[in-house]
Amino acid sequence: MNSVVVLVLGLAVAYFGYRLYAKRIDRRVIQSDPRKATPAKMYMDGVEFMPTSRNILFGYQFKSIAGAGPILGPIIALQWGWLPALVWILLGTLFIGWVQDYASAMVAMRKDGASMGGLSHKLISPRARMILLAFIYFYLLLIAGAFGNVVVSTAIGLKGSPMAWLFLTGAGLLAGQMIYRWRKDIILTTVVTVVLALIGIWVGTVAPSDKIIGAGLANERWLWAIAAFVFCYFAAVLPIWRFALPINYVAAYVVFLGLFFGLIGVVILHPDFTLPAYSSFTIKIGPIWPIMFVTVACGAISGWHSLVSSSGTARQLENEQDALPVGGGVMFVEMLLALFALIIAGTLYASPAQYGEAIAKGPGGVFAAGVSKFLGAVGLPADVGRSYGSVMMIFLAITIMQLVIRFMRIATSELLSDISPVFRNAHVGTFIASLLGIFLVMTGWWQYLWILFGGANQLMASMALMIITAWLMSEGRPASWSLWPTVFMFVTTVAALLYTSYNLLDKVFKGAVKGEAAAGNAVIGIIGFFLVLASFVLAYEGLKAFGRYRAMKVQPAGAQA
Amino acid sequence: MIPISLARIFEQFPDRRYIMFGGKGGLGKTTFSAATAYYLAKRGHRVLIFSVDPQASLTDIFQRDIFGKGPTEIIPNLYAQEIDADKRVREYQEEIRQKIRDMYGMDTIPEEIESYIQAAAAEPAMEESAIFDQVVDIVVQGGYDYYVYDLVPLGHALYYLSMASVYDAWIGKITGLRQQMREYDQVAAVIKREKELDEDAILNELLYIKDRINKSSKILTDKKMTAFFFVITPEEMVIKDTVKAAELFSKFDVPLSGYIINRLIPQELKHQAIPDYLKNRLAMQEHYLKVISSTFGDQILAAVPEMERDVTGLPMIERMARVMFGEF
Amino acid sequence: MSKEEKKKGGFFQAVKEFVYGVAAHDSARFALKTRASMEHLFILITMGDMLGVPILPPYYSLRLLPYVVPQISTWKRRMLREKDLTDALA
Repeated sequence: MNSVVVLVLGLAVAYFGYRLYAKRIDRRVIQSDPRKATPAKMYMDGVEFMPTSRNILFGYQFKSIAGAGPILGPIIALQWGWLPALVWILLGTLFIGWVQDYASAMVAMRKDGASMGGLSHKLISPRARMILLAFIYFYLLLIAGAFGNVVVSTAIGLKGSPMAWLFLTGAGLLAGQMIYRWRKDIILTTVVTVVLALIGIWVGTVAPSDKIIGAGLANERWLWAIAAFVFCYFAAVLPIWRFALPINYVAAYVVFLGLFFGLIGVVILHPDFTLPAYSSFTIKIGPIWPIMFVTVACGAISGWHSLVSSSGTARQLENEQDALPVGGGVMFVEMLLALFALIIAGTLYASPAQYGEAIAKGPGGVFAAGVSKFLGAVGLPADVGRSYGSVMMIFLAITIMQLVIRFMRIATSELLSDISPVFRNAHVGTFIASLLGIFLVMTGWWQYLWILFGGANQLMASMALMIITAWLMSEGRPASWSLWPTVFMFVTTVAALLYTSYNLLDKVFKGAVKGEAAAGNAVIGIIGFFLVLASFVLAYEGLKAFGRYRAMKVQPAGAQA
Repeated sequence: MIPISLARIFEQFPDRRYIMFGGKGGLGKTTFSAATAYYLAKRGHRVLIFSVDPQASLTDIFQRDIFGKGPTEIIPNLYAQEIDADKRVREYQEEIRQKIRDMYGMDTIPEEIESYIQAAAAEPAMEESAIFDQVVDIVVQGGYDYYVYDLVPLGHALYYLSMASVYDAWIGKITGLRQQMREYDQVAAVIKREKELDEDAILNELLYIKDRINKSSKILTDKKMTAFFFVITPEEMVIKDTVKAAELFSKFDVPLSGYIINRLIPQELKHQAIPDYLKNRLAMQEHYLKVISSTFGDQILAAVPEMERDVTGLPMIERMARVMFGEF
Repeated sequence: MSKEEKKKGGFFQAVKEFVYGVAAHDSARFALKTRASMEHLFILITMGDMLGVPILPPYYSLRLLPYVVPQISTWKRRMLREKDLTDALA
């Protein structure tokens, strides 16, 4: 099939899904009201509550949810063939993805701007909040592990990327100085630093890491794992304007320029899919259901988005009706991003064997090769394109990792400072989070880490959908459009986590893996089981809440009779 | 007999224009203030004597009601003023209310804001800080050669002084915070490509307040401009307390110009037929005068006998001035 | 014609805002966020008598009152608002 057909299909699903389904839910079921004062307006404090225009929030939401997930998920899922991934991306987004993203923002808005912790407390039970927090901590740890792994494999697979990474970091630090200290015109700052980052991408091609530090060191996983987590450490501990924000600022331009021209490249080249539409039901890492579903990750449905929608976007929406384009609309754009990733990887290799060889080295290399090919269509030399793709990959992963580590640090101090004041120290929490992350990166096989991350991520989505359903029930609104997604996601992700965790632990018990791999398998497997256990408790609490709301709904009718 | 060297201080240090008498309550500070002001006015200087004591007593000593009436001329060149702190606070509250009404075009002050204004005025420190501010106003306005402060009792004066440095440090911190806030504002403006920001009115207010508090504490502690005199009497408790107070004052950098002894029983009485009671008192006085001279030495600037009647009214003030400064 | 131009301007404005949202919104938001939390600290320090912590002489804190009238209610609300760990996620 031709790649443009896939793009058109995606656009059609986005258009009709948004127009016919999403809009109807927004107007008829939720009854969004443009005259209602949103929390951003009602509680405007300039801190968390700040009314912001729809277009800005559209960009903000997109940047916050477009990480490594939607891009790498489809690339990895191609192992089952492109068709299952395509179908799941389209249908997942249409029936589940936007529902969660949109409704998370909506429920947070209607509930005074509470975030997921507060919502679970209010709508489910106080205990649900504590379990959800623990769940989120380990879910985020898996993000750090899976994404950290991507950074490491990309840095090793593409020797130009470390230099480009270094340059972009330097450009970001410079941007920080120019914005926060010297207060230069933002356009000047942007041009100077983005150009510097682009130069770095070129420098990467002439100064590959193995030439500078030797092939031995350049292939050491621990070196890049430490580099990645030191980077995140700085981001979590340093003043955010000095490190994290300005680097993200420059990276955003580099990444989105790459995506933009890459998409143009796809339209120009409009290649046919070269990989098979379908390989087999079960591959090495597991069967299509449930494993492929969680592998595709954010392009279909992602729990991460519910956190962004509720904690970030919902507090800035100035009009209730903006929740649909910002919460829901951006998910459809994310779907297109996932299709873009599916296309560049699915049309790149002449044979499944070649693809298999490439993906074995890590998905970052596949992405970089694809970016190189399609940026080539707009005139970029292939080696520069590869370098470009690799640095995009690193920053798509590491910007999310930064946030995750930062949050884990805050969580440590908040949850554990009662036990000992030591945990209040920013370095302690960051150190713990980084150490755990490095452990996962160094000991876990990336495919399993990815599945665990994907499973946890979509299980988080199921939890968010459950909270949404509870809210709908508490208000007496039709809830089936979020209840069935909740059930489907819960069953799928629990199955995926149990399947993979069981396999991991089984290998440990049978002695199939030794040394550090055994330790990694054991820890990842235990985390998987813990997440499943936590989700069962949450589901139990959720069911109780559903029952309460149902009884509430029946009672007034009975009283009237 | 102790030489009268008080006048010399004024001749030697013509820059010392803020004159203050301190000491325990009831030792005659107001009397000395009035007499000094009278002396300086007679010498041809323009003098303002004002009371910063909430229980102002200048009205009594000049036998004229000047309370809350602003500077009032007593004799040519001599003006006296008693600050009506209560009234000032009420006016000030109304100024604040008016400012809020003007700034936001409100007809009525929101309830929580009004209750705040009320609560702030009810604070015991409110009156003192209002007076404090008035003093600065008076001194900053200028127009006089000398300012004679009829000081509050020692404890309060020290409280002012100690708070001045605390306030100053606090305002320094708050101003720093405000400036940091402004930096973030500017950063946001840079990122959004917005034009220059309005001035931060609060920052300006803070700088104003800092300036006021600095000025008032400076008036009390300026070595060049300030002459601070302690009033003592030949009594054990007074001497001991004064020594302690002087230590405290020097800790706060208040420049001490010297000590004046008050309430001496005239020595001449010794040679007359007097009752035992007075004899004993005189003997005690002699003893404590020795203690005083060994403690304070040549910092004793004048010794003033107990008058046969209250020092009120201009003739008595003039008499007192002559005793303090010699003939003029 | 003019309508079309307006539409075009609207489109470019939207693109501009989108790019701003992608790249810069976070940074600007954070700067303002930091600023606003300082503002609340400021009100706490200067108007703290409301909570029973007089730090400035009341005479002077009253001077500042007119400028913080609009912030006082949001400040109080913020002080009273329940906070949750997940607030820190975005």
